[in-house]
Amino acid sequence: MALLEVDNLQTHFRTPGGINRAVDGVSFHVNEGETLAIVGESGCGKSVTSMSLMRLIPEPPGRIAGAIRFAGRDLLQLSDREMRAIRGNDISMIFQEPMTSLNPVLTVGRQIRETLMIHQGLDKQAAEAHAVEMLTLVGIPEPKRRVREYPHQLSGGMRQRVMIAIALACNPKLLIADEPTTALDVTIQAQILKLMLDLKRRVGAAIILITHDLGVVAEIAERVMVMYAGRKVEEAPVAELFRSPRHPYTQGLLGAVPRLGSSLTGTARRLAEIPGQVPDLRKPITGCVFAGRCALATDLCRQYAPGLEEKGPRHVAACHYAAKGAVAA
Amino acid sequence: MLSYILRRIVATLPVMAIVALFVFSLLYIAPGDPAVVIAGDQASPEDVERIRQSLGLDRPFLVQFGGWVWRILHGDLGTSIFTNLPVSAMIGQRLGPTLSLMIVTLLLTIVVAVPLGVVAAWKAGSLIDRVIMGFAVFGFSLPVFVVGYILAYIFALELEWLPVQGYTPLTQGFWPWLENLILPAIALGCVYIALVARITRAAMLEVLQQDYIRTARAKGLGQGGILFIHALKNAAVPIVTVIGIGIALLIGGAVVTESVFAIPGLGRLTIDAILRRDYPVIQGIVLLFSFVYVLVNLMIDVIYTLVDPRIRY
Repeated sequence: MALLEVDNLQTHFRTPGGINRAVDGVSFHVNEGETLAIVGESGCGKSVTSMSLMRLIPEPPGRIAGAIRFAGRDLLQLSDREMRAIRGNDISMIFQEPMTSLNPVLTVGRQIRETLMIHQGLDKQAAEAHAVEMLTLVGIPEPKRRVREYPHQLSGGMRQRVMIAIALACNPKLLIADEPTTALDVTIQAQILKLMLDLKRRVGAAIILITHDLGVVAEIAERVMVMYAGRKVEEAPVAELFRSPRHPYTQGLLGAVPRLGSSLTGTARRLAEIPGQVPDLRKPITGCVFAGRCALATDLCRQYAPGLEEKGPRHVAACHYAAKGAVAA
Repeated sequence: MLSYILRRIVATLPVMAIVALFVFSLLYIAPGDPAVVIAGDQASPEDVERIRQSLGLDRPFLVQFGGWVWRILHGDLGTSIFTNLPVSAMIGQRLGPTLSLMIVTLLLTIVVAVPLGVVAAWKAGSLIDRVIMGFAVFGFSLPVFVVGYILAYIFALELEWLPVQGYTPLTQGFWPWLENLILPAIALGCVYIALVARITRAAMLEVLQQDYIRTARAKGLGQGGILFIHALKNAAVPIVTVIGIGIALLIGGAVVTESVFAIPGLGRLTIDAILRRDYPVIQGIVLLFSFVYVLVNLMIDVIYTLVDPRIRY
């Protein structure tokens, strides 16, 4: 049963240089309790997609079109007031920068309390008690003292735990995590991921995880959607995608993951890279969006955009040549 | 915190001492001899010399200064050359109107300027923003006395809604007191409102770009909560600073405003004292204003710690 169905999402921005098609016709769904990862390099539209789901894109200059059906309702048709009732309650969000995502002049307790008081109608005492509970749940020691502290008194990892506490306080059905571990130490990253997974099981929330870290994807996602230049280029269950990526861009991404090796034993390899740059999204693109950087591109690719085609079980990719298995992973 | 406030109060002592030295030097270096002024046109040189001796004006500078400071520390600001009344009593009589005018202006400014600045920042680039900022430039460019006379002409003379001039003490009722202060406060507040509104807008614009504002939106907060709690508290430090600096502006403006609206306050006393070369009165007033300013600065520093938990002393 699909909790979220996104249909032909288009988020465009008016800029002095023309219309920037940051997200251009992306469709996907998330089932209840499922973890979907959205991967892609910087500027591919993955963060804009997540902000569009929450309708946090400033309009103007932004404009969101298409349909975002959440639990049967199209979020794009809701009034601002109805949308506010969903934000932080049914759908909540964790951001990349724990250092700057918390308000520096309000106590941690107050920032957790707020969502509970708005959405659950709790009074201050009840909300405070619940805030302490949430801090305990996310593994912050001495929660009774910490609720009265300010963000600058906490470390980066602790602040991200607080963000998770805020996001999960109202038992959301969907949690959108936009690069939740990117700004943290590697050791803390693992802790935060484990915490997210534990809590997801407890609360039963679905997760949309936005990341460019394929290690994280392999660890916690069930399905993966690969985005490039504002479009979806491939989608598959996580094991399938890692085993047999079909789109040359996905193959490039997987090839660019560093592997352990040593020059002493002769196992060192030069890190693979994808040459070239993401195309300018303010200009209309004819043909395949990836053609400019693809080693396999032909005239066909440059003239006709490939549609998303079934390439395997629950596996789709937008490439003229993927079906032929022309490139081995 | 308390120890910080105490330390700050101690630290203001050297500042006040330097101010006192300057104020006292005024009398010493200013042209004209107070003894001659007191003695009048008919006096003989002997009379002048006698007055000079009785006032202690013949003694060395530092001795005079020391004696003056000693008397001030004991609450004696000296005696007016002109009226022979104690300066502290004269200031006491005039303090009420000026303090009333400044407090009403300060409240009016905060109540008007901060919301205007917040709305301008929220609707940045829109027509509302441009109208507000247009008024701010306008308010900034008009001198107090021009605004004062225009207001008095329209609202007092033509419409007869408010009194033209004068002052009624608070002890005679709240409305009679306030009624007399509305027009002067608007006239005096114009520049101040423009300044505070502009700073509020600039500070809010920067804060509204921050990640935590996005977080607040993602939590489902309404526009009011985002603007006036999450954003304004972060923008408060520059706003409070400018409100504090503006108090110096008010002190200067009060002198002019009191003349326009015939309010018997310290401003009028200052002008009269200067015209009569009544040095003890001038000294007393300047010393008082300096003290108020130092006190306001201390209050601002304390307010910082209330609005921003990262500021600790």
